[in-house]
Amino acid sequence: MTAVGEDPVKPRPGAVRGLFRSAGAALAALVGLIVSGCAADAELDTFVPQGPIAEELHSRAVVPVFAIAGVVFVGITVAMVWLIWRHRVKSHSDGDWPRQTHGHVPLEIGWTVGFLLTMAAVAVIMLVALPTVDGTEANAVAVDVDGREVMWEPTVVVVGNQWWWEFRYYLSDQVDLAALREIGDAQALPPADIVTSGQMVIPTGEEIELVVTARDVIHSFWIPALNGKRDAVPNRFSPWKIEASDPGVYFGQCTEFCGLSHSRMRMQVVALDPVDFQAWVDRTIQDAAVPADAAARRGMDTFAGICTSCHLVEGVNDETYAANGADQASGAAPNLTHFMSRTTFAGGFLNTYNPDGSLNRAELEAWLRNPDGMKANYTVPGEQFRGMPDLDLSEQQIDDLVAYLATLGRPPAGWVIEATEVLE
Amino acid sequence: MTAAAAPAELDHGTSGAGGAAGHGGDHGPSTGISHVKLAMWVFLGSECLLFGGLISTYLLYKTRANGRTLPTDVFDIPFTSVSSFVLLMSSLTMVLALSGVSRGDDTAGRAWLLATALLGAVFVGGQVYEFTSFVREGVAFTTNPASAAFFTLTGFHGVHVSLGIVMLMSLFVSSVKGKLTRNNSETVEIVGLYWHFVDIVWIFIFTVIYLIPAD
Amino acid sequence: MTVTADAPLELEAPPQPRYAERPLGVLTRPQGGRGWRDWLSTVDHKRIGIMYGTAAMFFFLVGGVEALLLRLQLAAPDGSVLGADVYNQVYTMHGVTMVFLFIMPLAAAFANYFIPLQIGARDVAFPRLNALSFWIWLSGAIFLNTAWIVGGGGADCGWFCYTPNSGVAFSPSHGVDFYAIGLQILGLASLISAINLIVTCLNMRAPGMTLMRMPVLTWMLLITQFLLLFALPVITVALFLLMFARLFGAPFFDPAAGADPLLWQHLFWIFGHPEVYIIILPAFGVVSEVIPTFSRKPLFGYEFMIFSGIAIGFMGWGVWAHHMFVSGIGPISVAAFSLSTMFIAVPTGVKILNWLATMWGGRLRFTVAMKFAVATVAMFTIGGLSGVTHSVAPADTQQTDTYYIVAHFHYVIFGGGVIGLFAGLYFWWPKVWGYMLDERLGNWNFWLMLIGFNLTFGPMHILGLQGMSRRIDTYAAGYGFELWNMVATVGAFLIALSMLVFMVNVWKSRRTAASRPAPGPDPWDARSLEWSIPSPVPEHNFDEVPVVRGRDEWWHRKYGIDDDGQVVRVATVEEAAQRGDAVGVHLPSPSFWPLAMAVGLPLIGYGLIFNLWLAVIGALIVIASLYSWAFEPVDDPDADHGHGHDEGHDGGGESGDGPGPDDAVGEVETAETDEPAAVGASEGQS
Repeated sequence: MTAVGEDPVKPRPGAVRGLFRSAGAALAALVGLIVSGCAADAELDTFVPQGPIAEELHSRAVVPVFAIAGVVFVGITVAMVWLIWRHRVKSHSDGDWPRQTHGHVPLEIGWTVGFLLTMAAVAVIMLVALPTVDGTEANAVAVDVDGREVMWEPTVVVVGNQWWWEFRYYLSDQVDLAALREIGDAQALPPADIVTSGQMVIPTGEEIELVVTARDVIHSFWIPALNGKRDAVPNRFSPWKIEASDPGVYFGQCTEFCGLSHSRMRMQVVALDPVDFQAWVDRTIQDAAVPADAAARRGMDTFAGICTSCHLVEGVNDETYAANGADQASGAAPNLTHFMSRTTFAGGFLNTYNPDGSLNRAELEAWLRNPDGMKANYTVPGEQFRGMPDLDLSEQQIDDLVAYLATLGRPPAGWVIEATEVLE
Repeated sequence: MTAAAAPAELDHGTSGAGGAAGHGGDHGPSTGISHVKLAMWVFLGSECLLFGGLISTYLLYKTRANGRTLPTDVFDIPFTSVSSFVLLMSSLTMVLALSGVSRGDDTAGRAWLLATALLGAVFVGGQVYEFTSFVREGVAFTTNPASAAFFTLTGFHGVHVSLGIVMLMSLFVSSVKGKLTRNNSETVEIVGLYWHFVDIVWIFIFTVIYLIPAD
Repeated sequence: MTVTADAPLELEAPPQPRYAERPLGVLTRPQGGRGWRDWLSTVDHKRIGIMYGTAAMFFFLVGGVEALLLRLQLAAPDGSVLGADVYNQVYTMHGVTMVFLFIMPLAAAFANYFIPLQIGARDVAFPRLNALSFWIWLSGAIFLNTAWIVGGGGADCGWFCYTPNSGVAFSPSHGVDFYAIGLQILGLASLISAINLIVTCLNMRAPGMTLMRMPVLTWMLLITQFLLLFALPVITVALFLLMFARLFGAPFFDPAAGADPLLWQHLFWIFGHPEVYIIILPAFGVVSEVIPTFSRKPLFGYEFMIFSGIAIGFMGWGVWAHHMFVSGIGPISVAAFSLSTMFIAVPTGVKILNWLATMWGGRLRFTVAMKFAVATVAMFTIGGLSGVTHSVAPADTQQTDTYYIVAHFHYVIFGGGVIGLFAGLYFWWPKVWGYMLDERLGNWNFWLMLIGFNLTFGPMHILGLQGMSRRIDTYAAGYGFELWNMVATVGAFLIALSMLVFMVNVWKSRRTAASRPAPGPDPWDARSLEWSIPSPVPEHNFDEVPVVRGRDEWWHRKYGIDDDGQVVRVATVEEAAQRGDAVGVHLPSPSFWPLAMAVGLPLIGYGLIFNLWLAVIGALIVIASLYSWAFEPVDDPDADHGHGHDEGHDGGGESGDGPGPDDAVGEVETAETDEPAAVGASEGQS
């Protein structure tokens, strides 16, 4: 886990705070130590919560139930080992028989009740913890949209696709869960102010409501450091929420098997302080400009001719794109309007930038040249694509496209580029 | 024991239990129901879950039109009521058939067996007519989730009725050949169990699917 | 062929003629014998049990090789042993194979072999149906695996095959078609078997064998059969919907047409959760037989064990949605299913403590069987407790679909189920084969398996909590997954090694069987009726049907309890055991029709997928077999059983299949031999 608090670039060692809150948490502590000890920088570690929701979930649900299970485990195991040690014999001799006890009803009722009480305690844990993950208490956030201040009910619509995540922000015309359920079709979502993919950007210290859905198959959205997971079921709209305490980058991985490249369907949440978040909104809400550079212009033409059947760059191919979006099984591909403002591409699987902040030209070109070589896709000609097809581009076209993509959007801050690096 | 007589066999099972009772246990080791009849009861228990699953599927999907015609829009309640009544009556004739066979009245037994099978066939024929007319009115198997669930549920039921007709006709043929006598009338009883079950399921389907309106 | 269409066929049998008709004249009625062909036509529950067991162990190897491939792929970051596509097929087929082609048939092997022996019956209620169950199961198993060759690859949707990912659009090969049809064939086999065994348990117990005297293994298997009976039709519905969706374009799971993808999840898990108990309860039964025997004590709290088993069976129906806590089913449902899931832990916990109480004060002799049985309790405890940790729905949102879950269900299914059934293999091996498995090699087998198992699946708890998702085909270095994945792979190969030792043990023990002392009827000084007859079990099981006076009937024939509460021997095994030399025992005749009918079903399956004409041929085979079956008397009047079968009844089988003659046999014999020679101190009802 990499968080950016006091020291914006250094990874913070995995904390195991809260583990000893419960005196009986010996086993949980042991597991926690193994987990964090073996993986000081494990980006997906569930035992290192980084926001109030995940922390409550951890301390109110995970730790107590691990403690109870640990105590029962130790009790039964000790009893069993003692029984084995105490009563084992090498062989059975004919005359050596123990007392033939057939049972003891009060005793058995006793441990039935004992288990009932134990599970009642677990039930209380569950009932106390359930509101932690369910139900929202988000506060409106003031966001400046094109010079106009709106009170944004902080909602991000999370849409799973094979094999990438889309994040939609409705700032000026806000939609809520009920409105989306009324629409009921994830392929017919209303136009959003900001559409990005792979990386969700949120303000710190705010509870963010998520509306999770999918366009093709079931996926599952999971940022372990911020909350548990929620399945993205096609055309169902499920509420979820996350909150990050500190600026930083929080990693995730699709957790419901979704086909060929399930393991290469990644996502990140970038939490920015309110000022940086406003700056991100300002940058990202604009349409793409026509580039000045000649190669980039050629690239734009190539884009509008070939890529338009799946990808959208707002302000460039809105009309042709809308006419063509059906080559993909999901009916959609990542919106590239602010390609450079996010630091991953190919479903959050590849890095847009090198660690030194320069464009990761090698992988971008390789991706355009032969997407299958970088990530498994299903692109049988004549069938709907799932993933990026091999477009048979010439080297010239690839160079032009890279030049054009490099003009789309502005890079984020240096610490974000560094902290968001994907382990490939 | 001559295994020829099913009721005798049944008695035998009971007497086996009685033998055990002599050893201090008053619980017989057998249910007192013959193997085949017990197997039918057990099987029908399983069938309940099958139709339960199919009915649940239909109830979940019955309003999902996908912009097209719903089965509920084209239901012909009077027609289906008549064919339901026909199927219900077949339960009555089934009882009469069993009564005929078990008291040794071959003529009555055969007649009522045939009547039951005919009533069942009328029902299945009605269902075939209903299906074709629905398709003509734009409700085909793949039209929408509601129609797919409707045809699957009622189709499964129709297959059950058809199998019942096959069993009834087998009984009828063996009766004609003189092989169905009062001694093995239990076979009729067991087929009857199946037949009544299929009827009861239809009463349920008819009520839940046809009579309760879709919102 | 559908489940519903098939099952009533018992009833279509018109009254049968006194003499065998051979309406097709194709096959001559097989006669009993001991050549390989006789295995194809056998209706002997013991041979069918052996065939179930053997085939199950074969598929254990198949599923095991698949598991090793998965572990090789995941041993190190960026694995390249299998591509993503092949990986998805292999892990799917691993799950399907282990659940449907290994554990369930191995449990069926125990059920077939031991239910009749434990309740004092000569066979099951419907011997030919029993053969049919096996052959249908085998044809389904082969059908499923031919997907690799003719289906363009195995199913690639995970064993629970969530829609719409399993739809044609997202899984275009025929793998999922094979899954949908193959599981229906397998389900049909299990359904027929369940009906058969339920009737057997309820109707064919020996005199005095009341329900509350039945051995716990039989009880747990009976509960399992009821779970199968009610669970299978639900997945049948689901599979039909999936098949109609894939083959005929029915929009059952198409979200664009307004369908709900969660329908599949509900139907699957309404079957799928009872399925967990279908897998684990037989092992509980085995453990409940092995631990008392080697503790020299009766099972502690028989009634509690039975009723907790029944409670698990009932409660298992109310917990299915705990597989769907993160599906978005709403907080009320989540809370309700979370609560019900917690309370199913109570009867399970009761069982664990009762096993410990059985061991308490006992004389624990750690044979290999006992080691496996105690390990089952220990490993299942871990699996059960990790289950408790994610019964808490909020905690589950962090754990579900990670390797923590993979660890959990392997501790339950492998640690509880498989290790438990291995206890049964070592325990009953001499009964089935007439020679003991070598204890020294058995110890190697046990320790390698236990250590390998814990090395494989223990680290997966940690991997899951570190955030490793399940079903990912590769992972990158740097997440902290490297060490534990390597450990898990090493563990998997230790399990493979332990299986190798098991096979060597079988081979070697068999080879040296003649030079070692025969085990006799009762090598372990055990407690239930199957130990009162010779090993291997004679074809007719019991010379005389025993009259049962209490639980642990066989033990009470050997031992009594004196006034001081001390155990005293009242008869030696030799005195009390049956000799197995009875003649004149009438047995049901073998038949080829079950096999013939089972051949037709996969043809129908191939036909649905490839060419309907094949389905027509398959259907004709099924109908012809059915017809021939119906006109074939249960007992072949021309047959010479070598037992001089005319002992006062002619076995005309007038009332269709099975029941008449078999039942009659038991009862007739009972009447003749109502008072067995040796009846031990009749402690009787404990």
